[in-house]
Amino acid sequence: MLFNSLAFLAFLPIFMIAYWSTKGRVRLWVMLVASLVFYAWWDWRFCFLLLFSALVDYSLGILLENERDDALRRRLIIISVAVNLGLLGFFKYFNFFVGQATGIALRIVLPVGISFYVFKTMSYTIDVYRRTQAAERDLLRFTTFVVFFPELVAGPIVRASRLLPQLARDHRFSYARMVSGLTLIASGYVRKVAIADSIAPLVDIRFAHPEAHNSWSLLIGVYLYAFQIYCDFSGYSSIAIGLARVLGFDFGINFDRPYFSSSFSEFWKRWHISLSSWLRDYLYIPLGGSRGGTWRTYRSLMITMLLGGLWHGANWTFVFWGALHGTYLVVERAFPRRIIPRALSILLVFHLTCFAWVFFRAHSFSNAWEVLTGIASMRGSLADVENRWRTLKCAVMIAVMLAFEAAAFVPKWRTAEVSPAMRLAFVGACAWVVLIFGTFSGNNFIYFQF
Amino acid sequence: MSDARRAVIWLVALAATIVAGDHLLAAVLRKVLLRSQFRYSRLYRGGNRAEILILGDSRGVHSFYAPAIEELTGLRAFNLSYNSLSPRIAEAVLLDYLDHNPPPRMVVLEPTCAIVTGALTAELRTYAGSSPRLAALYAESHPAAAAASRAFWLYPLNSEFFLEALHYMRRTDQDWIHHDVIPHARRAPGGTWRLAPYPGQVDALARIVRLLQRRGIEVRLVIAPYAPIKPPSNAAEFAGLIERRTAAPVWNYVGAIADLDAFADAVHMNERGSRAFLRILARDGFFGMAQPPARF
Repeated sequence: MLFNSLAFLAFLPIFMIAYWSTKGRVRLWVMLVASLVFYAWWDWRFCFLLLFSALVDYSLGILLENERDDALRRRLIIISVAVNLGLLGFFKYFNFFVGQATGIALRIVLPVGISFYVFKTMSYTIDVYRRTQAAERDLLRFTTFVVFFPELVAGPIVRASRLLPQLARDHRFSYARMVSGLTLIASGYVRKVAIADSIAPLVDIRFAHPEAHNSWSLLIGVYLYAFQIYCDFSGYSSIAIGLARVLGFDFGINFDRPYFSSSFSEFWKRWHISLSSWLRDYLYIPLGGSRGGTWRTYRSLMITMLLGGLWHGANWTFVFWGALHGTYLVVERAFPRRIIPRALSILLVFHLTCFAWVFFRAHSFSNAWEVLTGIASMRGSLADVENRWRTLKCAVMIAVMLAFEAAAFVPKWRTAEVSPAMRLAFVGACAWVVLIFGTFSGNNFIYFQF
Repeated sequence: MSDARRAVIWLVALAATIVAGDHLLAAVLRKVLLRSQFRYSRLYRGGNRAEILILGDSRGVHSFYAPAIEELTGLRAFNLSYNSLSPRIAEAVLLDYLDHNPPPRMVVLEPTCAIVTGALTAELRTYAGSSPRLAALYAESHPAAAAASRAFWLYPLNSEFFLEALHYMRRTDQDWIHHDVIPHARRAPGGTWRLAPYPGQVDALARIVRLLQRRGIEVRLVIAPYAPIKPPSNAAEFAGLIERRTAAPVWNYVGAIADLDAFADAVHMNERGSRAFLRILARDGFFGMAQPPARF
């Protein structure tokens, strides 16, 4: 089920009534069943995979906690990682690795959200192994943690240490939480339905036939994609976090104005925070982090970013995107002295990020090359850019969004108390923006494919 | 007051704010829409005294450059064509034009728009409030969205038409035409393709022709040039079909322009191409003669 579908609009009030009219374990059952319905709307068969993943990590978590023999515990954690990565590897990467090596290609459907829930359950067993997380002994609570619908299919990756304790207590309805949650949801819908979905067709035609577009058009297409993916994913995250907040849960934040970053290390602290912190804690630091000297740090950074790229999809273009970001981070560490002003750094980081997005969006290296050489050819004029009014509409909305984001850098405004009346006006304005600028084509969220 | 009661009051206030703001903003924006110089705003505002009216899809837009027609003929031209405008929509637009404006002397129809179907119907909601005919077409193709349009008045303004109307607030849109040329990378001759008209759209063309003839308005069916790299393989057959169904002659100029610099892409001319094409039409007596010359 998509957040931007009529089915979800019908599902949500029914779920809310059931959720707030129950307590304790009945409420957990409501959440579990609702989450499975939410997931089954896409393909009911994969609910079994989801439940299998939950059951395996539930059992392994308890075994890991009970076991005192380190060698056996190591074996158990290897089993957990192997099962999780095995699921991910088969459904997501089988055709990529085995298919490329042997020419055998299977018709495999990628289960929606697998990259997210596998990382969530895997981090749980790793934490139990490290004894930083107690094993959850309540199967209902653990399964609800795995399948909880607001963050099931496209994150944020909310770890066990944050979510399980919140599932252990009954949340009372809070007016303040509802109002602030709806504010987040409204801003998420504006990002997704009004901005990202309006941009989508403009980007699609440019990447489908780069040779048919002039340099300006392609350049604008790349900029637009940078905001499409940001608004699409941060929009989804806002809706998920807002929904959770209405229900009484706190997910933290997943995006923090990433295009205002003046360095790549800052960018990765602001972009898809739940994934970048996951990669930091479960990959970069175990690889040695920054503790083993310069070259080892560079190696850890590159491996982390390469695998981070591969996580996004089974294509070398994603790996190259990760490699580019790894290179940016390494170069930044090698030359740490800031010699350019912050505003210029922000522009530089944004443009290098856009350059990397070309490979992320392109379906092949030749497609990316066509886009880049098309931009470099300097052919055509700005006046001949097609769909100019749709482009201008998107540009205006992006400018307004960036103005809101920039305003949040002013400390006085960032910490200002927002009254319910102000929130009401904001949500109302969001509804008008969606009505007049929204694209109601029911587009998937981009991160569903990851 | 309990949290639940405050939440209910807040939600009711939110719903009222959304509906009130929606209706108020929409009322203001509709006034803005109808003040625009965009072709359909002008149509529904009325008072246009065009002598030559042009109807077609994007090929109608980029083949019949209204300023050039006026320069060549000294007659007032008004191009009502739009990208993906099908004959069924053109029929409604034409009837609305005749309701709101004095009748033109001549209507030029680019009949290859009969291969277009409902792509533009989603845009119709913008002017559905001014035209029961467009409202009916929109409701027929998008029943759920049409119902949403009745509840939320801002939604009909969520369209390319509205953005165009904003752009053309202070200046005419009649000079809208391609200026670019086909990129060299796309100039190699392509495969063949056929003009495949929809029967319902051909019927609409026939109705338009009959209506104009009944009202004593001259009608010209003209197939504008295609780029020679990828012309339709059945243009003559298509012209014959349209002639049979409409009982009106078709002026077939499919291969009239060979210069690739006159085209923006395989199916659309640019300003240079349109001017060259209109000169050919004038030379052939198109704007004066009731019948095409013998070679047609």
